[in-house]
Amino acid sequence: MRKLALLSAIFTFSFAYSQESIESLKKQLEEQRKLIQELEKKIEALEKSLEKEKAQKEVKTPKEDTVTKPADRTFELKYKFGEKRQPYALFTQPSFLPNISLIIDSSFVSRNISDKSYEEREIDNFFHGHGHGHDHGHGLNTKKGFNFNYAELYFYAPVDPYFDLYATVPITEKGAELEEGYFVTRSLPFGFQVKGGKFRSSFGRFNQKHPHAWDFAKSPLIYEALFGEEGLVEKGVQITWLAPTKFYLLFGAEVLQGENERSFGYEGFEIGHVDVKNASVPNLYVGFVKTSYDIGNLSLLTGLSYAMGRHRVYHVDGQEKHGFAGRTRIFGLDLTARYNLDSYRYISFEGEYIFRNVKRTEYEYDGNILTSDYQKLNQSGFYTQLVYKFHKNWRTGVRYDLINKNEENGTKATPNLPAYYAMLEYQPTEFSYIRLQGGQSKAYYIDGVRRKVNEVVLQFNLAIGAHGAHPF
Amino acid sequence: MKKVLFLILAFISLSFAKLEVLVTYPWIEDLVKNVGGNHVNVKALAKGSEDPHFIVPKPSYIAMARRANLLIINGASLEIGFIPVIIQQSNNPNIQPGRQGFLDLSNFVELIQKPERVSRDLGDVHPEGNPHYNLDPYNIPILAKAIKERLCMLDTKNCPSYESNLNTFVSKWNTKLAEWDEKMSKTRIKKVIQYHKQYDYFLNRYGIETVATIEPLPGISPNPRHVENLIKLVKPQNVNYILQNVYHERKTAEYISSKTGIPYVILPHDVGSLPNIKNLFDLFDHIVRSFEK
Repeated sequence: MRKLALLSAIFTFSFAYSQESIESLKKQLEEQRKLIQELEKKIEALEKSLEKEKAQKEVKTPKEDTVTKPADRTFELKYKFGEKRQPYALFTQPSFLPNISLIIDSSFVSRNISDKSYEEREIDNFFHGHGHGHDHGHGLNTKKGFNFNYAELYFYAPVDPYFDLYATVPITEKGAELEEGYFVTRSLPFGFQVKGGKFRSSFGRFNQKHPHAWDFAKSPLIYEALFGEEGLVEKGVQITWLAPTKFYLLFGAEVLQGENERSFGYEGFEIGHVDVKNASVPNLYVGFVKTSYDIGNLSLLTGLSYAMGRHRVYHVDGQEKHGFAGRTRIFGLDLTARYNLDSYRYISFEGEYIFRNVKRTEYEYDGNILTSDYQKLNQSGFYTQLVYKFHKNWRTGVRYDLINKNEENGTKATPNLPAYYAMLEYQPTEFSYIRLQGGQSKAYYIDGVRRKVNEVVLQFNLAIGAHGAHPF
Repeated sequence: MKKVLFLILAFISLSFAKLEVLVTYPWIEDLVKNVGGNHVNVKALAKGSEDPHFIVPKPSYIAMARRANLLIINGASLEIGFIPVIIQQSNNPNIQPGRQGFLDLSNFVELIQKPERVSRDLGDVHPEGNPHYNLDPYNIPILAKAIKERLCMLDTKNCPSYESNLNTFVSKWNTKLAEWDEKMSKTRIKKVIQYHKQYDYFLNRYGIETVATIEPLPGISPNPRHVENLIKLVKPQNVNYILQNVYHERKTAEYISSKTGIPYVILPHDVGSLPNIKNLFDLFDHIVRSFEK
């Protein structure tokens, strides 16, 4: 019995072994066959190249009376240029082209005041007209008649598994500038993300939106007053933490250079015998928290923001020199409520209230006498807007802007300053829109006189190329 | 006391151990439920009644993406209008494209109607081809398998369970497939007009021809001239049916139907498109029933 078992064991073993050896033999054979095939191929290739050489020699030494062109002219061209071009073609990487898009914005504007007056518009204690000898060349829809606002180049691609890179380069008639260029991390753990470079601050709600994504042709009055028409765009870094909660809860902090002319600025100046030192940089610190809830088809998004930094402004106007030095604090509260009626239609409310507190010294020097004056500014304003997308291709909306507080050392510097706008927009597709906007601003002073500014803007905005989706 | 504590802890750790799966559309949610069983928590961003091309990237979706272990998308640029921002803002490295926690289902099926030329003057074309591949019932088992493989990759411990769930689902599906094939072989509908090239995978499968679409180009709303041309097409082409999806306007389909006398039918395209479509079986049952004429 045992013998039988042993025998059968040996048998099966040897069988398995032989099977294995047959298997390996087969493999070897297969490999040899492959080798032979490869050799054959090589020989063929060699023969071909020899033939080619021969042919080439023949081409090189043609008999003068029998110069014949090769039948295939493309071969001749390839032979002539192909070699030269190939080294470059080898290393082109068209599939690594980033997403590129170009957005063009142009308009027709009708306004009741002259272009010069519009450029010199000002609001006391917020900003002064551009007539003081320094031309910024910024702003949208600044001229009556036709305007070419911008051709905005947008680039985006992942850099590697760790970073995304974005750049926005608006080109105006005066040249190109880098509005934004920043990286964003894509693999930090625990819900963190870091952004660095030059970017739109996440302060508030409106500030992050690119002009082509605005609901109206003009930025809200309080934004124009506090940050300028481009908004708060700064160099620096941002870190955000998204809480692992069921609802959206985002905390963020930014450390920024703080160059914004209307609220910050760090470069010191010499005025009369006073030497105002540079503020230490980075000059601007921003913190924010944003949260969002859904109630059925209603989405609510709300945020609290805070910004603080030093404040330095200096102008030279002929003989007169004018400067401010101090510090600024800004608080913002925003709320967006969007009710989706279906896939295409929605009603959206958006509002933002911003308060600014500035403590600064104002210096004035006329060449002989230097005067200085302490100012404490408490200023605030808001915008509220209602946008109704009533058809896949149509939107309409109204916006109310108000500066409701402008106090200097406890006394009112200006009364309440309102502005109203209404718009109707036709969007043939998500890549184009035509917007008609009308409105009136009672906020601006021109040469010290408060003026009503009525304007109608017909805006054309079109995008080509690969443009990413817009956030909520 | 200690035992109770242990039990509570064990329960907590168990509940944490569940794989969090986020998907873009309800039909994917249903597939994941079938394959994942009770080892996964799955949630869909879009509703079946919404236009899959126009989903709003709500901040609440970002919060959901933050907590996900796996994000499964339809792909073929169908989600181009909302999923990139959600992924970018999710602060979640695991679901970034290229990672194991990101799965694009369009990679597992053959897409039809890949355009030779891509330009936006052709409307909202998808360079990859027609993205509505979920409406070919033969694609569903393949996609279920792709999901199973990924779940196994992320959660090896429960792999046997996913495997057996898949087998149960596929065998059930195959029985249904035979039934649907049988029913569709008897349909007298051979030519249709549809609003958008949405049901082409289903129609191709059963040899039904799309003569024209109500939208002149993908994503472009119909205009009167185009509608008149459609009406002229119906008689000479012998069109039997107008297929209307749940989210587009119905007036045009109603108008063409009233002018030509051919019926129009509202077809679901996803789970939840209509209140009675609770899962993928319901979806195809409903579509097939609409062709039993």
